[in-house]
Amino acid sequence: MRRSPAFEIFRYAAIALALALTLLPILWMVSMAFKPIPEWSATGADLTWIPRAPTLDNFRFVFGESTSDLIVALERTAWRPILASLLSAVFGTAIAMVCGTAAAYGLSRFGSGKNLPLALIQLRLFPPMAVMIPVMIMWAFLGLIDTWWGLALIYGIVTLPFAFWLMKTFFDEMPREIEEAALVEGCSRFRVFMKITLPMMRAPLASSALLVFILNWSDYLIALLLTTKNWVTIPVYMASLSSSMTGQLYGAKAALGLLAAIPPVILGIAIQKHLVRGLTFGALKQ
Amino acid sequence: MSATETLARTAASTPSRAAQPVDRESRRLGFRLTLPTQLLVLFIAVFPLLMQLYISLTDWSPLDGVSWWKAWQSWNNFANYTDLVEDRRWWGALGRTFIIMLVCVPAEFLLALGLATLFMDDFPGKRIFYSILLMPMMVVPAVAGYMFFMLFQSGGPFNGIVSALTGMDIRIAWLSDPTLALVAVMIADIWQWTPLMFLILLAGLVGVPEDQLKAATLLGANWRQRFFTIMLPRIKTIMVIALAIRVIEIFKIFDTLYIMTGGGPGVATETISVYVYKVTTQDLIWGYVAAIALVILIVLSVLAVFAMKRMDAAKNGGAAVQKGARA
Repeated sequence: MRRSPAFEIFRYAAIALALALTLLPILWMVSMAFKPIPEWSATGADLTWIPRAPTLDNFRFVFGESTSDLIVALERTAWRPILASLLSAVFGTAIAMVCGTAAAYGLSRFGSGKNLPLALIQLRLFPPMAVMIPVMIMWAFLGLIDTWWGLALIYGIVTLPFAFWLMKTFFDEMPREIEEAALVEGCSRFRVFMKITLPMMRAPLASSALLVFILNWSDYLIALLLTTKNWVTIPVYMASLSSSMTGQLYGAKAALGLLAAIPPVILGIAIQKHLVRGLTFGALKQ
Repeated sequence: MSATETLARTAASTPSRAAQPVDRESRRLGFRLTLPTQLLVLFIAVFPLLMQLYISLTDWSPLDGVSWWKAWQSWNNFANYTDLVEDRRWWGALGRTFIIMLVCVPAEFLLALGLATLFMDDFPGKRIFYSILLMPMMVVPAVAGYMFFMLFQSGGPFNGIVSALTGMDIRIAWLSDPTLALVAVMIADIWQWTPLMFLILLAGLVGVPEDQLKAATLLGANWRQRFFTIMLPRIKTIMVIALAIRVIEIFKIFDTLYIMTGGGPGVATETISVYVYKVTTQDLIWGYVAAIALVILIVLSVLAVFAMKRMDAAKNGGAAVQKGARA
């Protein structure tokens, strides 16, 4: 469709404005992450968008190296929270994907578990805050408080609806001829699922897993309630970073925030094609 | 394609097994495949709900030094529920959550719809702009909260930009003013979640058949007519889905907001989740929290079932219309 030049100008102007608004907060954090203390200036009058004396001190600091400017020592470095975030998100994703994929196949092919779609949507609908009391009691009883495996278990359950719905729409769309052919060859149904269906679904499986991973990685509230010290995740650790001497550790927090923000942004761009489907429970395809 | 159609085609290609649509092996495998998920749902839904119901009828607190199953010792004759009706802070939090919802959802929707219409046809740079515009929704919400915490400091860049634009030296402490803090929280939410609406609405708009738009143009429809009579009706369902997702998510709003303001100053930005969180971790009256949580759950469940029914009805209606059109 041809558009008038006036429209094109308007379009680029509007998009430029949107891009600026989108990027400003991100750029400020990036710039903050590379600023030395004198430039942190939460109160200072001069605001610079580009650090005058860029430094990696903030990153060194959160990983426990002593730096020239910051005399405060950290009680805990960022290594362990990063490990906690990785372990809980990866294993949570594994739980959600294994259970979700199996159940989605069961429903899509054999009509088992007809209650699951609604049950899982409801699970997604509830604010986590509204079910945390019993979960905290149960987790305490099972000895899962402040462990990465306890977090992984709850993450797996919380993101199970996404894994299930995404895989269900993929299975529903998959042509069944190949499976039928393998059945005629004498494979058992389970073998067909393991040896033929799953390998064919590699790409959808990968993008579903990445989406689930992003969601797990992004959690703050659940980790805040279920971890206390040893296995706090990055967001919880980041929020707790402040010292009595310098107040808010602006630069250090920004550095950590940047590290936490990078993986999901990259993964998200990688799975752009399936984002719509994943986030609308398969109601929409792109 | 419906299941019966598929079955029929399968039957045609493999006549020998056509008699058994779902045989015993399949049923057993289906059961086994869905079992882990069923167990997890039971584990996280049924037992916890019963526990929640039980605790909500008592004054139990983890500080009591009594195990939760002995909570009956502090049975309180439904006092938690009657307290809730009179709990000003609770109603305040509920009201604030709705205010945020009423401002943010329409704002996000309109911004996203406008942007999405700009992205409907191809133009140089579309892909890269699209990727950049989607970035906010992938930023970890807690990190986004911290970004906006920095932006809205009194000597921070937000005031800096406003000062530069207006020529005055502006030093507003956004996050310590009750009204402005709420505004700041809303801005953060709009920044982070407009991209999601944009993504969904654009997916819908791209699905609008181009030939219809072309035909309308040929018949002399201007863009406004094309927009309101062809595009909008076509993406009605999609708009409902996008709005529903945001309404549900804003109802849960916590991460960004809590990091920015902690619900403060005072209770100025306290939403339902923040309120429940504070009662859980600071006041530690878990019996009361359980009561609040149950009320939220029941109300949401009723709404969910209602919405699903409506959606199913709409879907079936839509399918019928499509079939009719084809015939």
